[in-house]
Amino acid sequence: MTTAVEKRKIVIALGLALGALFLALFARGTGPQAAQAASHREAPLIALDPTADITDFFMFRDYAPGQQDKVVLIMDVIPGEEPSSGPNYWNFDPNVLYRFSVDNDGDGKADDVELEFRFQNEPIRGIPSQFTLPLSYVGGAGGLPPITALDGPGSEGLGLRQRYTVTFVHRHHRTRVATGLIAVPSNVGPRTMPNYASLAAQGTYDLGNGIKVFAGQRQDPFYIDLGGVFDTLNLRRTPPVETQAEDANDNVNPFGTDMLSGFNVHSIAIELPASMLTGDTGATRIGAYASTSRPHVSVNGEGHGGFRQVQRLANPLVNEAIIGTVDKDRWNSLEPEQEGRFEDYYLNPRLALAMELVFGVPAAKTNRTDLRDLLLKYQPSDTQLSELLRLNLMVPPTPFADQKRMTVLADTPDPAGWPNGRRPKDDVTDIAIRVVGGPNYIAARASDGVNTDDAALTGSFPFLATPSDGRNRQHDNP
Amino acid sequence: MTRQTRLVLAGTAAALVAAVSLVGGALRSSGGSAPAVPVKASAAGETFAAGFSDGDTASFVKRLVHDLRAHPGDAKGYTLLGLAYQQRARETGNPAYYTKSQQALLRARKLAPEDSATASALGSLALARHRFGEALVLGREAVRLAPFTARNYGVLGDALIELGRYDEAFRTFDRMSSLRPDLSSYSRVSYARELLGRPEAAKRAMNLALDAAGGQPEPTAWVETQLGKLAWSRGRVREAESHYRAALSVFPGYVYALEPLAQVEEAKGHDRTALSLARRAAEALPLPQTVATLGDLYARHGRPRAAKQQYALVAVIQRLLVANGVRTDLEIAQFDADHGVTPGRGLAAARQARRARPSIDGDDVLAWALERNGHCAQALPYSRRALRLGTHDALKYFHRGMIERCLGHESRSWFVKAVRLNPHFSLLWSPLARRYAS
Repeated sequence: MTTAVEKRKIVIALGLALGALFLALFARGTGPQAAQAASHREAPLIALDPTADITDFFMFRDYAPGQQDKVVLIMDVIPGEEPSSGPNYWNFDPNVLYRFSVDNDGDGKADDVELEFRFQNEPIRGIPSQFTLPLSYVGGAGGLPPITALDGPGSEGLGLRQRYTVTFVHRHHRTRVATGLIAVPSNVGPRTMPNYASLAAQGTYDLGNGIKVFAGQRQDPFYIDLGGVFDTLNLRRTPPVETQAEDANDNVNPFGTDMLSGFNVHSIAIELPASMLTGDTGATRIGAYASTSRPHVSVNGEGHGGFRQVQRLANPLVNEAIIGTVDKDRWNSLEPEQEGRFEDYYLNPRLALAMELVFGVPAAKTNRTDLRDLLLKYQPSDTQLSELLRLNLMVPPTPFADQKRMTVLADTPDPAGWPNGRRPKDDVTDIAIRVVGGPNYIAARASDGVNTDDAALTGSFPFLATPSDGRNRQHDNP
Repeated sequence: MTRQTRLVLAGTAAALVAAVSLVGGALRSSGGSAPAVPVKASAAGETFAAGFSDGDTASFVKRLVHDLRAHPGDAKGYTLLGLAYQQRARETGNPAYYTKSQQALLRARKLAPEDSATASALGSLALARHRFGEALVLGREAVRLAPFTARNYGVLGDALIELGRYDEAFRTFDRMSSLRPDLSSYSRVSYARELLGRPEAAKRAMNLALDAAGGQPEPTAWVETQLGKLAWSRGRVREAESHYRAALSVFPGYVYALEPLAQVEEAKGHDRTALSLARRAAEALPLPQTVATLGDLYARHGRPRAAKQQYALVAVIQRLLVANGVRTDLEIAQFDADHGVTPGRGLAAARQARRARPSIDGDDVLAWALERNGHCAQALPYSRRALRLGTHDALKYFHRGMIERCLGHESRSWFVKAVRLNPHFSLLWSPLARRYAS
């Protein structure tokens, strides 16, 4: 029997832990919403920043047949796009610098190869420019042609279009490799865009030299029982653990509901020969991260004083579940090689404490050098701490059909997934719960009960599923 | 284009608009003509985590209250509840939510005294209640507890601005913008530039804020409205109108755009449209400024009794605000000076307002109240202070002109300056300014 005082302590601790969870764990974005004006000039203090908000970063050796010499990098931005949110739907931000940064000499500084994407809005064009109606995309009715092409005939209904530029930076030497590429628009619905898959396919550009790029809307590949998590970790089984058979089945959700089902994101994907990332270093391992930066302005300044990084993402859930709320803005603005300042968060993860309280199973809460070394080092002997997603290029890619969501923790381990790079299929939620929780959680097969995404991933570039369309989108409910 | 095509499109748009009014409340709907789905239902987690529901603040409040009943020791929950009540106050104009917000935040503070989010939320509450001295203390505390969180510099900087400590305020905004350039910091840098008399530079920063809003209805509407006001302050009626209309298209019924749009329509000579817009704004959100605008429009159009009714309502609302901890001295002083209500009280309120809020607005209101009460020599130094930053502000130019005129000095140049900058700067005073300028 616990005494009343103990109970109260537990409740308070639980409250604090859950607060941390609410604010951080699984919350896949930077944060709060917008407020607006009162009678003095009251600007919003806290605003969501969706276009600079990276939801996921993937990096893996290409697992499409015959493409194994290539590496794929993908970043997803704009969390939880409701597919029906017309009339402007969703777009990249022309002021944001979207960038992948790669370390290929093992020093933990991702300044060796950088891939930059910048977007521009075209003036309202085509048929919508003739209307005063606020519709960005029209077609397929009343004699209007449907939208079947990104450019030329069939693109008349595409009122709002974004073009983009791709720039490679090799040790500060800049090369613009493509310009004027067209970003794939949001999937409005079958009348306006009767064959979205073929429309989107036109947005995959072959730039020569083994390089392919894609930018545009995709189905959100992340899967999680978000509602269950936020209802005080009220997962749909007590305790929330999977049987061995359930755990081994990557196609069925044993007890959870994928609450990101039917939502979309905007993706930037690039595939290129591994040699372009390793350069002449002969590296067998690379580290990388994705970032978004915005123009920096000052009160007395004129134009803008360069870019300031507003978000970075390498390993999933670090920003959300490891770094403390009070340090998030700074953490995001710093480079990964400055991670030493945040070492304490890795050694004493709040998430472990929270899980122990909620699951009631002892977790490893302190001196987690294992976690630090896993996330911040190429090898335990490294002294440089750097938060990068690391990819061992010597590990052959697992064919798509054989991939395991639990990667190295699967019954038949699949070493080609997170934390060795990260693929869209990898169940980073369950892996993180078990790795952070420690041996007890691994043995119990702790899980949110969601093992698969609602939309089928594809085995070739750009690897993410066609987005849900605005008219027929469907969200799985418990 | 065929007629059939036009019909199809018109039909689509109409249906969409209908869907908006069916599904969405006046204040909380997503995309312009789009169905009012919660903007980011999936991000419910994210926004919930962050402390807000994107879709519906009222039900978010309910849920928090319910959860807190089960976990009464959850400090974070109380902080979120306190912030949610502030959002409700903004949505409804009902200041009773400020009192509720305060209760929740004080509870949170008791449970977790050293929490920067609670300090910052108490700071934003103090700002909303125009208690800038308290906001300054709370902003400093939040910065001390979390020196790397951009938001806290926003609380601090806003307080410094209203206290007239501009150099510190601008440095604080620069710090905020260095930590995190986004809508919140861009719009503050924009405001600072506007105060410094750099409207073009202000517009550039606000345009960055517009893109950073990423098409989200409420933030986009807010930024568009600010861009509209910036254009309006320079007499650019058409540009202002297009921004207000953009705000209303992305956020139908957005009151903060309706009210200035009424002034645009008035400037264009569309009296009836102006009146109906002002009425809509005042009915949806009866704040002192929306109700006063409606009253001023009635007054302009020879309906003094209707105007008086609105003015009386302003007084009632102000009492309600005061009862819920909102300081309204400056607003009362401004209103009284403008409308000739109980002159003595106006002057006392103006002195009190200037003491609590020694900003250029505090200086200007005191200068104006002094002029209205015939103390023009005393008014002059305050008017000089009110213009010390070089702000391009037609109303302040006009006040200065009136003071100089009262003193028998050359004053026409000030009226010319005001009218050239913005011939429609005030429903009440523009006609007089035009007369003195000619």
